[in-house]
Amino acid sequence: MTTKNNKAFLSVLMGVIITSILTSCDFTFELPEEGSIPDQTPPTASFSATQNDTDFLQYDFSNLSNSATTYLWDFGDGNTSTDLDPSNTYPAEGTYTVKLTASDNLGVTDTYEAVIEVIEPEAPPAIIPNILEAGFEDNSLPDGTGDGRDSWRNDFGGVIQITSSPVHEGSQASKFPSAGDRIAYQEMEVSPNTDYILTYYYTLKTDNPGALTVTVLGGGISDLSEVAGATLAAFEGTDQTDADAYVRVELPFNSGANSTMAILITNQGVEARADALSIDLAQ
Amino acid sequence: MKNHIKISILFLFVLMGCEDFLDIAPTAAVSSGNYFVDDQQLETGVIAMYDAIQGVNSTSTSDNHSIQYEFYITEMRSDNTRTKSSEGEAAQFESYTIQSTNGIVLDYYRSMYNVIYRANLVLENIDVASDANRDQFEGEAKFVRAYAYFNLVRLFGDVPLLDRVIGPEDEALSFTRTSTADVYSLITSDLQDAVAKLGKVSINRASKAAAQAMLAKVYLTQGTNYVEAQQLLEAIIGTEYSLEDDFRDVFYSESNDEVIFAIGYLPDLTSDSQNFSSEWLNAVGRTSGVNYVTTEAREALDNLGGARTQYSYRQDQRQPTEYQVVKYLPDGDESLGIPATSTDPTLAGNDWIVIRYADVLLMHVEAIMAGANETSSGSAISSFQQVRSRAGITTPVATITKEDLLNERRVELAFENHRWFDLVRLGVARDVLSAFSAANNYSFSDTDLLLPIPQAEINLSKGLLTQNPGY
Repeated sequence: MTTKNNKAFLSVLMGVIITSILTSCDFTFELPEEGSIPDQTPPTASFSATQNDTDFLQYDFSNLSNSATTYLWDFGDGNTSTDLDPSNTYPAEGTYTVKLTASDNLGVTDTYEAVIEVIEPEAPPAIIPNILEAGFEDNSLPDGTGDGRDSWRNDFGGVIQITSSPVHEGSQASKFPSAGDRIAYQEMEVSPNTDYILTYYYTLKTDNPGALTVTVLGGGISDLSEVAGATLAAFEGTDQTDADAYVRVELPFNSGANSTMAILITNQGVEARADALSIDLAQ
Repeated sequence: MKNHIKISILFLFVLMGCEDFLDIAPTAAVSSGNYFVDDQQLETGVIAMYDAIQGVNSTSTSDNHSIQYEFYITEMRSDNTRTKSSEGEAAQFESYTIQSTNGIVLDYYRSMYNVIYRANLVLENIDVASDANRDQFEGEAKFVRAYAYFNLVRLFGDVPLLDRVIGPEDEALSFTRTSTADVYSLITSDLQDAVAKLGKVSINRASKAAAQAMLAKVYLTQGTNYVEAQQLLEAIIGTEYSLEDDFRDVFYSESNDEVIFAIGYLPDLTSDSQNFSSEWLNAVGRTSGVNYVTTEAREALDNLGGARTQYSYRQDQRQPTEYQVVKYLPDGDESLGIPATSTDPTLAGNDWIVIRYADVLLMHVEAIMAGANETSSGSAISSFQQVRSRAGITTPVATITKEDLLNERRVELAFENHRWFDLVRLGVARDVLSAFSAANNYSFSDTDLLLPIPQAEINLSKGLLTQNPGY
């Protein structure tokens, strides 16, 4: 009994299936919108922009859109393009709104906008190292204070003295007594790999043989033992012809791999004076 | 009813007993939980990291071939090399038609994460190390982890960032892409640690100089910290490393003074040899020949290579219209005085050089240039000139432009997987590659600057891992 019934049921089922297949053929007569599935992968528009290295007015656009086949770019300056990854040269500096419309083959579109600011990149000018109290004058710090040697104090040696005679310019200069235990040291900012000239004036007393040594250091030091490793340039002045006449020294150096430098002044064997330090770019 | 109660009690005992039973450490087998006891085991963990970089010498697609496959996704995507016969998925690289299903891309991606896993395993067990060795092991693991991430982030962009050993429950972590900036910050801190901690064991293991050079390259790639990069490089310049007099010896007199870090391979041992050397020949490896030299690269070498040219490429004797790489030959070349490195070329022993001194000198120039278009700094010119002089080019230069530097790097480091990264790092990839693509009827577009995230990984992530644009 069950077998028979099952067979009957099966044939009915078959009939139903066949009918449904036949009826489903009807869709060919339906309008495209009805029963058709929506665009499952609609386009998404996106891009990035890079300023050109050599021509700052030129921007290179990288298309980061998905599921799109055609593109329309509006660069915001009246120019347009249909390229995948276009470049545009802007007429002048300014702010531009760039619009990308990405479309797929079903005509679905997406747009993405970004504002770019076209500005000539500033080449950072080389830093001229700023020596504080370079002439050892009172009240010469930027805020109008200072005793002429505040910027030169350090832990490596005693504080230098100030002299009013002889001086090279102004009314004061630095003085290093003959004991040689006083040291001037100052750190400052510098541009890396740049050629500079340090200019200064010194004079030595004539009673004993000796010298005044000015050392330019790359970076800062925390102990005098580091001087040898950090020295960029040094000059040992031994001109003892006249204790009252200052000798001009030009000490060229290259700042190397450093964004800070330091000046270290020491004396050996004889009382010494230094005045009017300045740093300028070479040439 | 009585029976039921008895049975319940019995179950209770069994359940309670389970806890102790599960806690017992296996005595007849080794597990990662009980393996690391002291330096001895930890060092095997360290060696295993290099083993993962080395990759498996096989032709099976289910093995991790690691850097043995690196040339496909770097050099063959640049204007230096291509397949000989444009066959198979290897040809997708030269024509910029890479599919997200590309097996080589997947192989490299998984290989690098295997390297990272092994480095994380060492770091997780670093406490068992003796005081004498802890710094060295930790430095090596951090160097290796940074190396793998540096490769991944440059090739794929944002990638999942795993800084510890993960388990099966860490799905979100292993499939969430982390921003490039965050990946770089782990790379940088790892390398800074490595510089501080490392000494030198051998050129096949991470050393202080290797970490300094790698960190310098990371800074140059990010376009920041040029002064620090220069300082790192100057710490290597003038030490124990120097250029080989004969360019050929860089590659054929292994462990020479120019090599700072190389992945070691041993000839004729399946477990420790490499097969990329044979793949670069005419049907000696599994392919009919890959990493063949492009017309563009030959032209550059002919014009600017000097003494380097003959040791960089040669005519394919079996197919004279084609040209092969001469660096890393497994079976030698009598006419060039190069001996074979193994009896079976598919079990080659040539080490793969990751960092060498010439690269350091040219990075030094780049650091001084500091993103500008040229430099006439004396120390930059001195480094530049050293590299050229070795190649017999002694004409002095007064300025070095970015293009000069790029060209010099191209001919000095040709076929050493630098070209792609150099083009991207120096910001000319789009210009150079779109011209190259147009000349050869390839289809480069800007989205080809990143590889696709492997589709197999996206599938495993159940959609968590997102694809790069353009794929």
